[in-house]
Amino acid sequence: MDRLQYSALMIACLLLTLPLEFVFGARVWRQPKRLVRSVVPVALFFLVWDLWATNRGDWGFNPKYTIGWKFPGGMVVEEILFFVAVPVCALLTLEAVRNMLAGTTPLQRWWRAR
Amino acid sequence: MPIYPVLAVLAAIVVVALEFIYFRSAIFRSRAYWVSMAIVLGFMIAVDGWLTKLSAPIVFYNDANTSGIRPVWDILIEEYAFAFALLTMVILLWERSAPAVADKAAAS
Repeated sequence: MDRLQYSALMIACLLLTLPLEFVFGARVWRQPKRLVRSVVPVALFFLVWDLWATNRGDWGFNPKYTIGWKFPGGMVVEEILFFVAVPVCALLTLEAVRNMLAGTTPLQRWWRAR
Repeated sequence: MPIYPVLAVLAAIVVVALEFIYFRSAIFRSRAYWVSMAIVLGFMIAVDGWLTKLSAPIVFYNDANTSGIRPVWDILIEEYAFAFALLTMVILLWERSAPAVADKAAAS
């Protein structure tokens, strides 16, 4: 079970931020094209950096907490999950905050309509 | 000079430069951006703290290539520059492809 720590942490981030999409009307997951165009190019850049740094030995990943699928040099597949999950969480937060400040979240609408 | 802090700060500077020279999204003048970055910072400390804590690290570093400065929960100080660069770059691309007019008015 310990070997799932890294992947489980990333999936937990995605699950915990999922309500922002609906309760705060973030509309991030519901704009899949825009999401892919924002996240993928940046993820690719950072994954290349990651591969390079791992190969140089700047950093590495604990085999105790990762499932064991690795790229040459030692970068783990969980890193792909990281560079997708973390930006998605940030975008959900941005859009949720933006709606909150504008008073347009479904939650606020419901509160006012009571 | 350790390479990780140098590259992390460089990445942050490049992203800021891209905003002012190319994207011009005015995101740095937006309240929503700074409020969400503050919230994200809180969660980053929890998640990155879990990933890099020295007692049971998921990600470990070659100390020769880092600053070695770990002020909060063993998180290397350059990780904050790294996270800023990563997330702000994604947000700049996200803003660039914002649906026009109708949504913008509601969003600002």
